[in-house]
Amino acid sequence: MNVLAGIVGVLALISAIGVVSFRSTIYCALSLVTNMVFLAVLFLLLNAQFLAAVQIIIYAGAVMVLFVFIIALLSPGSEDTPRLDLRFMVGLVAVFYVTLQIFFLVGNGITYDKSATACATQQQAQQKQCAADPLHGSQTGQASNGQSLTYYPDDVNAVGNVQVVGGQLFTTFLLPFEITSLLLFVAAIGAVYLTRHHVTGSRRT
Amino acid sequence: MSLDAFPWLIGLSTALFMLGAMGVLIRRNPLVVFMSIELMLNAVNLAFVTFGRYLNSQEGQVFAFMVVVVAASEVVVGLALITTVFRTGRDMDVDDLSEMRE
Repeated sequence: MNVLAGIVGVLALISAIGVVSFRSTIYCALSLVTNMVFLAVLFLLLNAQFLAAVQIIIYAGAVMVLFVFIIALLSPGSEDTPRLDLRFMVGLVAVFYVTLQIFFLVGNGITYDKSATACATQQQAQQKQCAADPLHGSQTGQASNGQSLTYYPDDVNAVGNVQVVGGQLFTTFLLPFEITSLLLFVAAIGAVYLTRHHVTGSRRT
Repeated sequence: MSLDAFPWLIGLSTALFMLGAMGVLIRRNPLVVFMSIELMLNAVNLAFVTFGRYLNSQEGQVFAFMVVVVAASEVVVGLALITTVFRTGRDMDVDDLSEMRE
């Protein structure tokens, strides 16, 4: 499993470099599609099956089809040369500085309390046992309860990832979910407004 | 995946995010800039799912779902803007855009 994750991670990194460095726009779009598919594989390995399907359907399907349509519509002929001025250099130094800082933090600093997160259940008797292996869920025998918001992977997979995520979306996160629909509505209206035909011809954008 | 993969996945997410940021800085084509923004959003999704996995929580996946929705609507509005601005056959260069400056 770790070997597969490593291979997929390296391939995702290579395709991300392709997005940034390809000269042609359609090659950038293709390598972005590959990057999204590899990330979907990583989501599958991380027990996020629903999100992997969403990633492939929405990103690699809908969003990238939209991108390719716009590329075909506008046909950006001129290959862009990367800009190499002072602003770019400052930005590049900042990017590398932040990257190295986060790598350093990941290597040393970021920790989390395994026992606190793994044993936030009512099973006090088996607390020590589940602290020993926090990722294995079935040994606690604890079903996913909404109070502690702790979901063990085996329990989630027994119920079904889609059911658990959907239950969260429609109970705990109901208000953000409804606001999401409002956001999509506003985005659709904005797209129609921006691309409408100017019949009168009086207003140019 | 074992617990050892956690810092590697966060590192991969950071690397992908910074590649996206570098793409936004380097590239001049607005479509590629948008693709780099998508790359950054995907990296953030990976970080959310990784943290959610290793904290035995589902909120990471729910929030990543929200990020997907926000990214989709952002792409819709952004591509509409790009088609409106660049429909007249001008060069696709974000440095040439100065309509909103004054």
